[in-house]
Amino acid sequence: MRIFRNVFRRKMRAILTILGITIGVFALVVMGSMAEKINLMVSGGTRYYSDKVVITDASTPTGGYSTTPIAVNRIQEIEDVPGVARASAGIYILLDEESGMSMNGIVGSDMRNQGYETFELRMAEGRDLTAADRDKAVVGCDIAKALDAKVGGTIDLRGKPFEVVGIYAKTLTAPDNTAVISLHDVQQLLYVQLPAIVQAQVDPDELATSITAYPDPGVDPDQLASTIEGTVSNVNASGPQAFIDQFKSATKIFNSIIFGVALISLLVGGLSVVNTMTMAVLERTREIGIRKAIGASHRQIVGQFLTESAFIGFLGGATGLLLGWIAATVVNALMEQSGTVLFLVTPRLAIGAVAFAIVLGVASGFYPSFHAARLKPVLALRYE
Amino acid sequence: MPDTNSSRTATTANMTAKNTEGTKTMKTIVSVRGLEKRYVLGKDNYVDALRGASVNVGSGEMVAIMGPSGCGKSTMLHMMGCLDEPDSGEVWLNGRRVDDLSTRATTKLLREEIGFIFQGFNLVPSMTALENVALASQYAGRSRREAQRLALEALEAVGLADRAGHRPSELSGGQQQRVAIARALVNRPAVIMGDEPTGNLDSTSSTEVIDMMREINLLTGTTFILVTHDPDVASGCDRIIHMRDGVVTDEIACCVAIDREPGLAGAEEDADRELAEVA
Repeated sequence: MRIFRNVFRRKMRAILTILGITIGVFALVVMGSMAEKINLMVSGGTRYYSDKVVITDASTPTGGYSTTPIAVNRIQEIEDVPGVARASAGIYILLDEESGMSMNGIVGSDMRNQGYETFELRMAEGRDLTAADRDKAVVGCDIAKALDAKVGGTIDLRGKPFEVVGIYAKTLTAPDNTAVISLHDVQQLLYVQLPAIVQAQVDPDELATSITAYPDPGVDPDQLASTIEGTVSNVNASGPQAFIDQFKSATKIFNSIIFGVALISLLVGGLSVVNTMTMAVLERTREIGIRKAIGASHRQIVGQFLTESAFIGFLGGATGLLLGWIAATVVNALMEQSGTVLFLVTPRLAIGAVAFAIVLGVASGFYPSFHAARLKPVLALRYE
Repeated sequence: MPDTNSSRTATTANMTAKNTEGTKTMKTIVSVRGLEKRYVLGKDNYVDALRGASVNVGSGEMVAIMGPSGCGKSTMLHMMGCLDEPDSGEVWLNGRRVDDLSTRATTKLLREEIGFIFQGFNLVPSMTALENVALASQYAGRSRREAQRLALEALEAVGLADRAGHRPSELSGGQQQRVAIARALVNRPAVIMGDEPTGNLDSTSSTEVIDMMREINLLTGTTFILVTHDPDVASGCDRIIHMRDGVVTDEIACCVAIDREPGLAGAEEDADRELAEVA
């Protein structure tokens, strides 16, 4: 209570200082919760790609998602490579070609991967898709919200109606934003998108965007990837490492942004705490003199001012966290329509942000506190 | 508040336990010898605040230090109270040399043996009267609860128990100075030093504060050393120490008839007899 009174002795100044930290922590929480969400997606992606080799047409960049078709009949060629246990063809297309922001996509698979795929998808409702299903879809939980999908209802995928037979449980990664339909259905969707000149050359039933190879037990997928590239002509084969590298470079940029924001808030918030506390010490020089004259030790004076600066840090941190959390929740709610979850405020982020603010307050309070403690009582008392 | 007066005196009397023994013999409690202090203001520009000041103050005495502005009386008081260090000379308190103590030892001294009262009251504005008094007790290592109990006792002794929850801004000057006295008193120091304790007070409040200090001095045997311009303060003391240009010029015992407590009067007689024997 006394700390509160001391900190708010100069209301405006205290509020401005706290606001400085609030803004820093707010930025940290918003950027951080975005990073947390991305990190989760990446770790999900890394898990997904950890045991397989993705083969695309040679013209597509390694690790990238392909729009160039690859023929389904190349499965046989790939399965003949030693070390490949199974190959399965699939198509991934964006739900909406126009919307760059959306992560929503459509996946079709020949289901040959059943029994080989280790990434587990649980059903929240309904049933999973079977190879024989036509015009039926199973959707991830986020895309379900975007498309207002309910089991038994119909959704529109690229202008074609599909019956929803199941909804996947939340994975916090890519499948949440994916609608799964049969390979045949997605082949039709992709085919109509192709330029007429390409259409003339391909058979829709032979259409795929990637072929996934599952290695035999004990075979290293990265080595298998280079073996496949060496044996099969005209393909790009990416093992887990290619995806990890790609994810890493993407998250590296993001993590440096977070680091930058933290650094800026450290500077701005920290300097304003130093300024506030130095002013407070100056204004209270006389009070410090009194305290020393009645027997306050160095440590007690330092302790008093450090507690006050830590308190300023805590208030700034808590307010910043609250505002950041509100912003994240509001934006998530607004984006729910598009099925995109942008922010994830995790407990470690929340605790980290407030702890960061407190440490910032204490660190910035050091100089003014020691300055205060070193004041000679007689000089401090003479100070007007 | 006439009805609170009797209980106040009783409380003050309760606080005597520690100090009455010290007044049995009039031994020296504070002694300064050959104090010199030069304040350097700039190149070739300095002030010699003290030029070899020496004085002794006896235990249980109440003395005034007077002199024109700039004669070094406040500087000497600050050195007696370990708030400032002399360039040369010695300060002795309770038989111990204290001018060359470490910061830690000085802090301990300020907590346990010395109390200060200032002209500007110097209460912490954000704290209530009780908190201000308790602060000194807490610095001396008491628990918050114990400190508050002792603080309330000290406030009772100065007749302000009913103002315990007020902030300094809600108290009159005289009341603020009484809170400051309670704060100086709370750790039962041997010596209370006052730097112009009535300097900011009107004459009514001045009298109130002087009487209060005298009462505490007589009841508890606490030594008071008061730097003052106020002849009323000086005339209420046992002795007046005059200073000029950084030295003590003369020391005059006041011929005020004071109703000492019987025990204390006896103690003085003892002291007189001892002196006679020495002679």
